[in-house]
Amino acid sequence: MRRLIARVLQVTFAAVAVSWTLAAQAPAPAQVTAQDLRDGLKNPTRWLNYGGDYGNQRHSPLTQITPANVHRLTAQWQFQTDTLGKFEATPLVLDGVVYVTGPLDTGWAIDARTGRQIWRYKRDLPSGLIACCGLVNRGFGVLGDRLFKTTLDAHMVAISRKTGAIEWDTTMVNYRHGYSGTTAPLVVKDKVIAGVAGAEYGIRGFIEAYDAQTGKQVWRFYTTAGPADPGHGTWRGTDPKAWEYGGGSIWVPGAYDPELNLTYWGTGNAGPDYNGSAREGDNLYTASIVALDADTGALKWHYQFTPHDIWDYDSTQMPVLADLTLDGQLRKVVLFANRNGFFYVLDRATGKMIRATPFIQTTWAKSIRPDGRPMLEPNSVPSEEGTKVCPDQTGGTNWMPPAFSPSLNLLFVTARESCGVFFSWKEDYAPGDAYRGGAVQRLVDEQYSMLRAIDVLTGEKRWEFPYTNQSWAGVLSTASGLVFAGGSGNVIAFDAKSGKNLWRFQTGSSLYSGAITYMVDDRQYVLMPSGTTLTSFALAAF
Amino acid sequence: MRRTASVVAVFTIIALGVGAEIALAQDRAPARAEPRPTKNPFEGKPDAVSNGGAMFRTRCAGCHGPDAHGYLGPDLTGFWGAGGTDDRMFDIVRKGIPGTEMIAADPARVLDRDIWQVMAYIRTLNAVPVTVPTGDATNGAQVFRNNCSSCHMVNARGGQLGPDLSRIGAARPRAGLQGKLRGTNTFIRPGYEPVTLVTKSGERIRGVRKNEDEFSIQIMDMRERLQGYLKDNLTEFRVEKQSVMPVYGPDRLNDRDLNDLLQYLAGLRGADSASR
Repeated sequence: MRRLIARVLQVTFAAVAVSWTLAAQAPAPAQVTAQDLRDGLKNPTRWLNYGGDYGNQRHSPLTQITPANVHRLTAQWQFQTDTLGKFEATPLVLDGVVYVTGPLDTGWAIDARTGRQIWRYKRDLPSGLIACCGLVNRGFGVLGDRLFKTTLDAHMVAISRKTGAIEWDTTMVNYRHGYSGTTAPLVVKDKVIAGVAGAEYGIRGFIEAYDAQTGKQVWRFYTTAGPADPGHGTWRGTDPKAWEYGGGSIWVPGAYDPELNLTYWGTGNAGPDYNGSAREGDNLYTASIVALDADTGALKWHYQFTPHDIWDYDSTQMPVLADLTLDGQLRKVVLFANRNGFFYVLDRATGKMIRATPFIQTTWAKSIRPDGRPMLEPNSVPSEEGTKVCPDQTGGTNWMPPAFSPSLNLLFVTARESCGVFFSWKEDYAPGDAYRGGAVQRLVDEQYSMLRAIDVLTGEKRWEFPYTNQSWAGVLSTASGLVFAGGSGNVIAFDAKSGKNLWRFQTGSSLYSGAITYMVDDRQYVLMPSGTTLTSFALAAF
Repeated sequence: MRRTASVVAVFTIIALGVGAEIALAQDRAPARAEPRPTKNPFEGKPDAVSNGGAMFRTRCAGCHGPDAHGYLGPDLTGFWGAGGTDDRMFDIVRKGIPGTEMIAADPARVLDRDIWQVMAYIRTLNAVPVTVPTGDATNGAQVFRNNCSSCHMVNARGGQLGPDLSRIGAARPRAGLQGKLRGTNTFIRPGYEPVTLVTKSGERIRGVRKNEDEFSIQIMDMRERLQGYLKDNLTEFRVEKQSVMPVYGPDRLNDRDLNDLLQYLAGLRGADSASR
């Protein structure tokens, strides 16, 4: 009884103390709601989704920084990770705090005014990680008081936004078989959705949804069609099990249309990358875009950009959602500048191709037929002696996210003219081993990289800015008519209409991510990751 | 009370952290160390030779030539005839050769079996008979001092407009060096591309390019002055294909002196082995 009284007193005291504490402070900060994510950049002071909004336009309504004053943009702070590797993440910003993931499974909360660290997250990774292209991560997702991220050992974790502590940890799949997690998650309603990387190691790709509260798996969609799936007949090669290790990785997040309740995902290359003899057929759903019901993961439609991919043309670029007036009719479309060199406009309710035009020189196919299939060119199959194909395996563009200005109808893409000599050889699948079936000699003397503005109504090039070295920078557009991108470590501001270079800053390391913009204390900042550094810019006070 | 709450919070974090540690400890991958054979297990196997040929053309031919008879890198066909072993070749491919362009093969990208298959292919090529090169290295050193050392350093002596040649004997085959001297080999090492700039004041500057971005270029000029220039301040800016190194035709360097010079260069394999 005495213990009970003591317990009651303790609880009462605690409640009083808590209410006193709360009363003495400002109201508790609002949690991030599903509606906040849906609103995206309607509140332009923050950046809550990888692509800014669910449509991945990366087009901010902020207008404090303009073409007329951008020359006064100056660095305000820098944050350095103290790790090896490089940023490929898009930071999130909420209530004056930047949340960003770094290489080697790290993450930080950082004061958006000063760049000072608030907390640091670091995962203790197992040895023997298998990742083809860097121990990187592309960013957090957010909901409520939690951040979500994929890990290099193929887990999905929920992290406290206040402390950086792990709140749940769900194994996606066994990393020892070549799987890894590098994508930023897409958070929709009460679910966290992501997929796995590793198509260079004979994985079977999938997209999976997790309950944001518990981490419990809710649905999974496989990106290679199994025996019970429609499309399984597109795996017809000499190896009846080819679909089991047929690739189709997911290493960038998707898009979401709340009205159609569909998520859109670009899927990775078929495996082995350069030798398709064991997997004749289209190899669905690799090198495609799939539209999945957000609640159930059911496939609503698919469109395959590169049927029977043998050039490593992952379709892991950002699907950009836009509403365009085409032939006098308002259409809900997906814009997709693909690694295979073509720029596609698809109806996002049906997946029907509206138009596809090359945005760089392509020699594997010169055009896309009205029925949506590419017109393949002869002599474009990788061989033992080597076959020259354009673009090379890094593609006309890659994971670097483009930006879209709805007022100008321009898509700004970090693009590249290139060719490579594609070689193929026989390779047998062994769990966890490289499974490429070939390699590519890039013809470096014949390549150049540029920021290219594509008129989405015609598919034509409006302007371009050539880079000296190959750029991997993503793009940011703002309603004031600015575009931020860059190359060779330079963050560069462009006039969105003309492509004229208006401002630049040398960060000292290559750009593998895109800038974002946010506002704190009525001041607009532009935040650019480069190497292992974040640099935040704002207009000089003078 | 707030302190109690934070202590509880800290404890929870530690507990969660420990939980994660245990989970991860159980999840660790076993080491994948397999004993490596000393003899190529793929030698003579037709499939391996054919795969290895494709791999060689992709990854090796750029430096070693399409037939492995050497281009920038040495002739590989005579490796075994000169006493090389499978084990040694494997090691070179896996670990690379420091101070040369021969980089290590990343195990995450290049499997052991890939290396063996490439070696199986090379073994099928007609080997050039091993010959012991002749030439007077002492005279070669003199030729080098008279003609080359104003631009090339060997063992910390000489100029720096051209590449340091202290290990050139390990990096380049004799035929490649001969081509470079006689002007038939037009390869220019990155960082030594010739460049001509003209400033707004009309000054013409020639040198080699060290770096470049969208707005600037960094060079070493012919007097070995390091300097950067903003492209906006230049009226002309040209990267050329013709090396700043002169062509040493027979009129400038007779066959005997050339042979002696090559003999000297072939012996430059690091600070300890070079003549001083």
